[in-house]
Amino acid sequence: MGEIQLNDVTKRYGDVTAVDNMNLDLDDGEFICLVGPSGCGKSTTMEIIAGLTMPTDGSILISKQDVTNLPPKDRGIAMVFQNIALFPHMDVYDNISFGLRLRNYEKEEIDRRVERASDIVQLEGMLDRMPEEMSGGQRQRVAIARAIVRNPDVFLMDEPLANLDAKLRVHMRTELQRLHKELETTIVYVTHDQAEAMTMSDRIAVIDSGELQQIDPPLTCYNEPSNMFVAGFIGSPSMNFVEGTITEHGFEAENFDVEFEPSHLDVSLGDDITLGVRPEDVYPIDAVHSLARPTEEIAAVSDVLEPMGDEVFVYLKLEDDVQTQIEETVSNDQLLMSVEPDSLIQEDEPVTVVLDRSKVHLFDSVSGTAICHGLTPAISQR
Amino acid sequence: MFHRINTTLEQLSETALRSPADANRLVFTGGTIVFVLTTLFPFYWLFVLALTPNELISNMGLVPKGYNLAVFAQVFQELPLHRYIFNSVLISLMVTAVVISLGSVAGYAFGRYEFSGKRPLMLIILVISYFPPAAFLLPLFRLLTGSMTILGIQTPDFYNTPLGVAFPLSALTLPFAIFVLTTFYSQIPDGLEDAARIEGTTRLGALYRVIMPLSLPGLTTVGVLTFITVYNEFFFSFLMTDGSADHWSPLVWGISSIIFEQQFTTPYNLLAAASIIGVFPIAVLVLFAQEKIVSGLTAGALKE
Repeated sequence: MGEIQLNDVTKRYGDVTAVDNMNLDLDDGEFICLVGPSGCGKSTTMEIIAGLTMPTDGSILISKQDVTNLPPKDRGIAMVFQNIALFPHMDVYDNISFGLRLRNYEKEEIDRRVERASDIVQLEGMLDRMPEEMSGGQRQRVAIARAIVRNPDVFLMDEPLANLDAKLRVHMRTELQRLHKELETTIVYVTHDQAEAMTMSDRIAVIDSGELQQIDPPLTCYNEPSNMFVAGFIGSPSMNFVEGTITEHGFEAENFDVEFEPSHLDVSLGDDITLGVRPEDVYPIDAVHSLARPTEEIAAVSDVLEPMGDEVFVYLKLEDDVQTQIEETVSNDQLLMSVEPDSLIQEDEPVTVVLDRSKVHLFDSVSGTAICHGLTPAISQR
Repeated sequence: MFHRINTTLEQLSETALRSPADANRLVFTGGTIVFVLTTLFPFYWLFVLALTPNELISNMGLVPKGYNLAVFAQVFQELPLHRYIFNSVLISLMVTAVVISLGSVAGYAFGRYEFSGKRPLMLIILVISYFPPAAFLLPLFRLLTGSMTILGIQTPDFYNTPLGVAFPLSALTLPFAIFVLTTFYSQIPDGLEDAARIEGTTRLGALYRVIMPLSLPGLTTVGVLTFITVYNEFFFSFLMTDGSADHWSPLVWGISSIIFEQQFTTPYNLLAAASIIGVFPIAVLVLFAQEKIVSGLTAGALKE
């Protein structure tokens, strides 16, 4: 019960391919997050699982049963929507019991189930309220109660917290995790918020341009991204990317080199390579002793500091006259570094930094595919 | 005299300049009074005519020339007014039911589905609804009186039956209903329909249980307008029935049949009294529907 399988699912709208040959295999009881930027096809994927959208190609299995041609109501699923989608003309009780009443359950059974569901989401005493009399968080709880009351095999959640304010969102996040622990039902959760994905899910499915990029546990996606897209998408702020080429000494970029023995890797001389390193894996030179395997020193000039409280983001210019900014995916002339809040680094002063060799990622610049995560030291340092 | 008008106008324009809000209110009030007078005057005029005994009806002023209340009873002796009203209400209800159900399904398709040829199809429906009804007169008469054979099947004879009137009027009122319901249904957020379908309805079930209840103001508008149109209709009922109450003639045709019955005089007082009585069902309907429309709007049905 509760397994979901997508086999070669494709959805095309005219010339636009929203979902491209998607294969997913989800276990029973798993909490899966589909993440990706807006328009990447994650919502379409969910609609296909729900049966609200018919795939152009491929098949869908829920609980080992082929549901490709079944309407949503016969798929054993429940869904929570981004815009909550409570029926405005029904009170809370009618909203929660809507699906049960359609299936002609006994009155006592409906009462019992509604009571239990409203207990779980802490809605006691609100059953006769109308949706418009409730706050955003309460409405979302009603929506969740409406989903759990039918004991579905699978929950689908389409950005259910996106319309709530920041504080409530974090609160509901914990509640959803607690709910999952309690019910042990498969949850497919769509979000573009990678913090939600990291904190809640058993596995993350990263989707871009309708294609599945990687499906792995959150920390695997973080530490061993399978390509540049995943590396850049997971983690905030985003990973630094610097373009360069493979020489006989290792990686050579415009402004710095990282030495290693290229023959250890699946690369050949002259290959275009992109080096990726997360801001927290860039260290100022005075912290070099804490690193087992630092890279060569990199000369830079600090630009803007962003104190976050528990850490400080330092924008480093590798060349003069660079406007540092965070949005660019590949930025050959700048690095973002995260340092301790008690760091003495000031704005506009020369800073020497090193990278943590074991946390450096190399990607094929053309295809974006990861070549390695963590570099062996150069021969000279061995 | 001229001087006084001039000063008044000057004062008015000065007020308008000083406080545009006052001027606005003045124009609005003036406009409303004119509108109400022109709307209500014909109704008042019906009372004047009804209360005046028929032989005194000539060179009428603004007040009745008598107070013959008995006319309202007399009219029921002259013609089976209650039966005509029943016929009209029944035919109107039939047409309204057909228009609401067919119009809803069509409005759902046009408002919430993407399909090729949607715009041209909508356009055709609207264009046909602008044809003058008289253009359909002969073909419809032949079609609905059993004098045509389509693919070897003889068309049914609906002459002097409620269907004879309801059929063409349903067809004529549908385009407008489809148009209005399309607008209303397209405004219901997709999420609500999706939620209903996930919870266990079919598409039609979602239409019936979620989309239609949330479009109550639109449904009421379409229903009331259709009902009134059919209730007031004369042209097709004159064509499709012979004017007798037992042959399902509706109200307006029935009232005007008084004119044809009397050879030498026209009983204006009876015509007026019958018209006044005939207005009441509609007045009751509108009062009731108005409450529905207001409650539908204040329920915040479309808010999400």
